[in-house]
Amino acid sequence: MALFRKKQMAKDESYYLASQWTLMWRKLKRHTLAKISLAILLVLYLGALFADFIAPYGLEEFSSVYKDTGPTKVYFTDENGKLCRPYVYKLEKFNNRETWTVEIRENTEEKYYLDFLVEGQEYKFLGLIPSNLHLYGLVNEAGEADRSARINILGADSAGRCIFSRVLFGSQISLTIPFVSAAISFVLGILLGGISGYFGGFLDTAIQRVIEVISAIPSIPLWLALSAAIPPDIPVSTMYLYITVILSFIGWTGLARVVRGKFISLRNEDFVMAAKLAGVSDFKIIVKHMVPGFLSYLIVNLTLGIPGSILGETSMSYLGLGMKSPATSWGVLLKETEDLVTVAQCPWKMIPLIFVIVTVLAFNFLGDGMRDAADPYK
Amino acid sequence: MDNDTIIEIKGLKVNIKIDEGTLTAVRGVDFEIRKGETLGLVSESGCGKSLTSKAILGINDKKCKAEGEIMFDADGLGRVNLLKLNPIGKEIRSVRGKQISMIFQEPMVAFSPMYTIGNQINEATLLHITKDKAKAKEISLEVMRKVGIANAEKRYDQYPHEFSGGMLQRALIAMALVCNPKLLIADEPTTALDVTIQAQILELMKLLQKDFGMSILFITHDLGTVARMCDRIAVMYLGRIVESGTALEIFKNPQHPYTHGLIGSVHKIGTKKQERLYSIEGTVPLALNLPAGCGFYERCRRRIDGVCNVYDPELVSVGGEHKVACFACTGCPGAKEGGKG
Amino acid sequence: MAENKQILDVQHIHMQFNTSGVCVRAVTDVSFTANEGETIGIVGESGCGKTTLGRCIVRAYQPTSGKVMYTTREGETLDFLQIDKATMKKYRKEIQMIFQDPYSSLDPRMTVLDIIKEPLAANFPKMPKAEMERRVMDIAAKVGLNTTYLKRYPHAFSGGQRQRIGIARALVLNPRIIVCDEAVSALDVSIQAQVINLLHDLQKEFNLTYLFISHDLSVVEYISDRVGVMYLGKLVEYARTEDLFSRPMHPYTESLLSAVPIADPTVKTERIPLEGEIPNPANPPSGCYFHTRCRYCQQKCKECAPEYREIEPGHFVACHFAGELGLRGISYDE
Repeated sequence: MALFRKKQMAKDESYYLASQWTLMWRKLKRHTLAKISLAILLVLYLGALFADFIAPYGLEEFSSVYKDTGPTKVYFTDENGKLCRPYVYKLEKFNNRETWTVEIRENTEEKYYLDFLVEGQEYKFLGLIPSNLHLYGLVNEAGEADRSARINILGADSAGRCIFSRVLFGSQISLTIPFVSAAISFVLGILLGGISGYFGGFLDTAIQRVIEVISAIPSIPLWLALSAAIPPDIPVSTMYLYITVILSFIGWTGLARVVRGKFISLRNEDFVMAAKLAGVSDFKIIVKHMVPGFLSYLIVNLTLGIPGSILGETSMSYLGLGMKSPATSWGVLLKETEDLVTVAQCPWKMIPLIFVIVTVLAFNFLGDGMRDAADPYK
Repeated sequence: MDNDTIIEIKGLKVNIKIDEGTLTAVRGVDFEIRKGETLGLVSESGCGKSLTSKAILGINDKKCKAEGEIMFDADGLGRVNLLKLNPIGKEIRSVRGKQISMIFQEPMVAFSPMYTIGNQINEATLLHITKDKAKAKEISLEVMRKVGIANAEKRYDQYPHEFSGGMLQRALIAMALVCNPKLLIADEPTTALDVTIQAQILELMKLLQKDFGMSILFITHDLGTVARMCDRIAVMYLGRIVESGTALEIFKNPQHPYTHGLIGSVHKIGTKKQERLYSIEGTVPLALNLPAGCGFYERCRRRIDGVCNVYDPELVSVGGEHKVACFACTGCPGAKEGGKG
Repeated sequence: MAENKQILDVQHIHMQFNTSGVCVRAVTDVSFTANEGETIGIVGESGCGKTTLGRCIVRAYQPTSGKVMYTTREGETLDFLQIDKATMKKYRKEIQMIFQDPYSSLDPRMTVLDIIKEPLAANFPKMPKAEMERRVMDIAAKVGLNTTYLKRYPHAFSGGQRQRIGIARALVLNPRIIVCDEAVSALDVSIQAQVINLLHDLQKEFNLTYLFISHDLSVVEYISDRVGVMYLGKLVEYARTEDLFSRPMHPYTESLLSAVPIADPTVKTERIPLEGEIPNPANPPSGCYFHTRCRYCQQKCKECAPEYREIEPGHFVACHFAGELGLRGISYDE
């Protein structure tokens, strides 16, 4: 305490004039792991936003030749071992006359060069501007975009679709559902937790019991029950909405508890009493003193809650209860790795899992750093 | 250093690493404590008195680094510099808790709520005195009776929450005394207690001091308790001792302007009320990038420009035990007396 | 310095808290009066109900029963605890409070300017912003804050400075009564003296009435004109400061005074020991609440509660044997 006061005195004028958020940001900036996580998340979200552009292929663009093939080999040296422009060979089906099986093999006759801003499938950039340019792709010797050869940097799935492209498209769902559901939880949590904490009494007891009942139900059976209620033949967008609601239905309880606890502890703070004695109205006290008092904690709580939602969506989709093809999320992608044989033969199909793990870890570290920064006055 | 001295501290410095750099919270402290006496270390918060006491026990934070000399007459080790011992080694542990023990300000925090009081007092006994559990309990019970815990047998099996603040402080003292230490460090032991309880605890400490023949380092900001408890007093300001002497010298003939201000700031019951209390302007500055000269310069009413902000005063004897670190009191190095009281 | 114009008449305040079925009497039948411009000290040990009493008077808590008769500037007397919302809005600002903890009493998310301005904005919503800021500046300068630093947040200030901010916030509404709940207890000695001097100056300038609640008897003795001693929720003695300190009439006051550490090694007081512990307020003793620890206890004390009565003019005591015991106080030297 005494030490902290000393620390404050060492700061300059900008520190004295710093609001809570500035102080929090400064503290967060000192948390290296949180900073790195923030950068990673930024990259992931940009990836989701510009998925159409970054992904070389469309969601459903497939090639039967490339079925179950691993990451495409990229060559940086030519036949003579000299460094050259990166290129790949086209894969072709080839009948092995000895074993009478069909084999896939590189056709070393033709080279396809890696290039940037290559024309491909048409899409609408950010949903607005029609375009067919992709970040990277292959061109033939003549320099024209050629779709007969493919570059699947993370391999292809059992339908011959590019996993990297699908991960990007999947992230559009996997990374946004948690946010939408978190937003719904946020509203529900503040509303019900606030009512519970501020009014107390019977309402408080009732809400607390409801929370206890909801949190006592194991989540997977609850998902099962709720997704059984979703009609199977609804459009993807509606499905998306349902899943979010299901997830937030479980997510709000923890938040409501935090809000209630904060309300109760802040209600007893001296500065709240001082405001009351000065004749400030209850509503103003809540808005000016209490909500800003716990907002930072709420944001932290939300950040720490997002990994749960990501995992929730992933496991639901994996179990076949959430997103279903043709819609794609990371969980849907992982559905391909259901049996051991696939994992053994096509290990690259596990790559979406890495994205899940990295995202979850990044959110956890970020939340951790934010928790440390949440109360800059202690 | 004569044979009466049990601990002598020389040039003790404690540095704390903070974001803005290194903060020298204790800036060269010298004092010694003799057998059976009580030395009061008085100052306001942020002047480094608690850090000094923690340095003696080697229980400062990892961020704090202590240097200097703390010579202690340890049983089994002879005269050793406590700062030179490995802070987690066997030697310091034979000193810490056994030969030097400590009582804290908040008795409620000092005990674990999970164990009975008897259990926690026993811990020290079992560690330092005997391995025999029955015997340890005997010893603990005896100390508990000595510190005035009535019904010790019953209290032995109770948990901290069943004790009142005063009783808990007694239990804490029992825990500190169970190994019969040579030196007891009391860090604001009565600040958290009510006046009547405070008086009881102080009396108890005095009584036990005679009984156990130990020395006490009494750390506080409360001049009232210091006057009641201590034989000698050292006044600390900004990591330095600015004045030391017997209690009588300090209270009846304070020399340093800070001591003056401190005593003047407190109204004594039973004396005529002053129209205004004497007060020291400003606050204790941060011990970071301190300018040259006396630490009290900024707030001093008797400062001598050109001297006090240039030279750092040393503790100089002004007669007998009484030492002061102030140019205005002891004369300046190569300058004329100036400034007014 | 105290005019004889009564401003506050606290009558039979009772405050009970019901927590999980247990009824705790925090304040039991407390009555006293205060004159304008006077400082009333309330002392007692922790848990004696002095903070609750202070909060009842500012109506932060609604007492179970009792009256707080307040004499307005116009000379009208009304019960502060019963007045309706509209009247309350008018008089709320005349009784303000200063808190103990300079850290938790200021919202860390508001600038100092906003903190001091908030009461103005709440009470005078139509006041122009410039006028509000001018008033804030005035009051900040009065309490010794550097007005160039008002845009800073509280974390930029030390404990003593923060306490000045708290004082400015209480003063900005131009109150007549200020309840100081342990207002200097959390501060260092030298800062304590600064704040006490400030309170003293402000009192003279604005003719304020203080209700100074503290556990520190030396501070209370210094600042108060009259002092009340509380024990277990009851006011056991109330008198002019000198009378109470030199000639206490309640045995509890006597032991309390004997326990005060005096900053003078030559003063050797003989402490009058107080046996036992403060009883549980949820289950107070029969008769006189103090009888379990009183060395003058008689059969009568265990059976019936003493009446709180005026033994000498202005000296109220709740003890059966008040005035008969010859209790020892503090000898004043000249």
